[in-house]
Amino acid sequence: MTIQILNGLVYGSLLLVLAAGLALIYGLRRVVNFGHGAFYMLGAYAGYTAAQAGGFWAGLAASAVVLALFGAVLDRLVFRALQDRDPLVTVIVTFGLLLVIEDAVQWIWGTEGRSMDAPALLAGSVALGGDAFPVYRLAVIAMAAGLTAALLAWLHRSRAGLFVRAASLDPAITAVQGVNTDAVAMLVTALGAALAGVSGVIAAPFLSLSPAMGGQILVDCFVVVVVGGLGSLGGAALAALLLGQVQVLGAVLLPDIAALIPFLTMAAVLLWRPTGLAGKRL
Amino acid sequence: MRTRREAIIGAAAFGASAAGLAGAARAQAGRDPIRVGVPTSQTGAYAVLGEEVIRGVQFAVDEANAAGGIDGRQAEFRIGDEQSNPDAARRAAERLAQGGHGLLIGAISSASGLAIAGQLDRWNALYVSTVNKADRLTGEACGRRLFRANHSDAMDLMVVAPWLRGRPERKWGICAADYVWGRDSAAGFTRAAQETGKEVALSVFPPLGTRDYAPYISQLKATELQGVWVVLSGGDAINFAKQARQFGLSAELTIVGHAYIVPTTLRAAGEDVVGSYGVINYDASLDTPQNRRFVEAWRRRFNQDPGEYEAETYTGMRLIFEGVRKAGSTDADKVAQAMNSLEFESPFGMVRMRAEDHQLVMPNLMGRVVRDDGRVHRAIEMTVPVAEATPPPSATCRMG
Repeated sequence: MTIQILNGLVYGSLLLVLAAGLALIYGLRRVVNFGHGAFYMLGAYAGYTAAQAGGFWAGLAASAVVLALFGAVLDRLVFRALQDRDPLVTVIVTFGLLLVIEDAVQWIWGTEGRSMDAPALLAGSVALGGDAFPVYRLAVIAMAAGLTAALLAWLHRSRAGLFVRAASLDPAITAVQGVNTDAVAMLVTALGAALAGVSGVIAAPFLSLSPAMGGQILVDCFVVVVVGGLGSLGGAALAALLLGQVQVLGAVLLPDIAALIPFLTMAAVLLWRPTGLAGKRL
Repeated sequence: MRTRREAIIGAAAFGASAAGLAGAARAQAGRDPIRVGVPTSQTGAYAVLGEEVIRGVQFAVDEANAAGGIDGRQAEFRIGDEQSNPDAARRAAERLAQGGHGLLIGAISSASGLAIAGQLDRWNALYVSTVNKADRLTGEACGRRLFRANHSDAMDLMVVAPWLRGRPERKWGICAADYVWGRDSAAGFTRAAQETGKEVALSVFPPLGTRDYAPYISQLKATELQGVWVVLSGGDAINFAKQARQFGLSAELTIVGHAYIVPTTLRAAGEDVVGSYGVINYDASLDTPQNRRFVEAWRRRFNQDPGEYEAETYTGMRLIFEGVRKAGSTDADKVAQAMNSLEFESPFGMVRMRAEDHQLVMPNLMGRVVRDDGRVHRAIEMTVPVAEATPPPSATCRMG
């Protein structure tokens, strides 16, 4: 059972990195970004291509850079241009983006499944409780913990982080105080997209690459963000770890309804706390 | 003396017969084309298999047209996205059938095949399975418009049972996709294990499209099995293969797969399945004159060997073409009638559509993934001839 809890922690960690980006973007732009799953997939493929040439870490870095640029352009051309319209309009645009990116990836890389190797340093397995456990999976937990700690430190210790928190609380008042909220929002969207890209590369060595990977994980990611409380980073972190456990334990203990369990969890949490686990912003 | 009236009648008669002749000539030159509908997975967990089906259809259509068509009829096809999901499959097939492409072929999941099968009378269509393995398709659900040109679960288990008898592993587990195919195959394997004195100690059923197999792999490891029957395909097989190796599962026990060691898995995760066994429905090395011609033409066109779904879909297309030729019509009802006990040439040699349950009768193989000189490929260990590879028609099939 200890192994199963660890398995849940690995998947929860992956969801955490992905959902953190989604929560950040929602916090600033009040838009549920349906394109987030596609960013995750695009990041994985960009990282895969870069890793062919320079190895895993080059892939990770390349994916962060490419997706950050992508996020900045998206913010400038879509989110800012549509910020005075009904948020639903923007949501539909991001959904369209999901379809376009999926098709583009399929066109460039094909539907053939692809796989990426873990870095040599993390390729083996270690004995845990007398059983082999892949080192890379432990590294996933470490990478997610490191990224979350860095993100929280940045939000709570730096000046830019202060602006982000202020702008997500009240964009108008923050702008009146002389903060360029458009620039803050662009930074945050870029960061959110980069986190999605990075999580795609982190996932690549243990989940294979396919154009369907984004759509599949997006559903889990929405559950995380809704359970955690829209726009709340801490809530999303808690919800991601919870969902990881719920999924694994569901698959082991209640296999007949395993596919329903994430949604049952979401329904239960929303009945108990309609604004999610952390009902406040960032 | 010719009256004006007679002249008019004569001219009209001449005109009419000229029009009639022109019509007959047109019918001779371009009889109505063979319109094939392909409701297959362009997205979803089985998208990679859908690509193989489309290649098989494309190859068969181009080959037929290059040879002047089938009895002067050109072939054409249209694709609908079945999304690896039965509801989408029914919608896609309905659009194709009602748009005139009622000779249907190539859905991936058995659940999709069954969803299409239930509607064929209503659409005046026919459906040829080239990937769906669930026994129900040629069992309870069988029908006069429904055909299977690929191997069923029961046929594959006819190969696995004798293989299992000769193996030392006694305690087995099953990891099968949680829908009609996985459940069907798991039940068949459990029966085969009981008959050969083995034990199935654990069965797990991950949903189609599962990303993280860790919880299932950990359960299989904790049960201390000696072998696992894996019923996963497409993206699921690739994910499972990689994760099973990372957890050391593939190193500590025998893995035998159903539709698992196929070319798509080998291309994406070849190193991860080295040493795994599996049923192999078709291999490019199959030794028939028809297959040698087929493989040579396929290599020229695609620069790689054909895999099972490609060869079986090509076989299914040949069945439709020969059915149209025999029926002298493209009407689905007449073509289905003609296909009923058809014998025709395919890469598997001369094959026969069994009239009792509409299952194509074919040989079958068993093999293992090996690495020689750094190249990962399948080695055939057992070729089972038609007589031994073919279970009798299911008693539950009542042809209506």
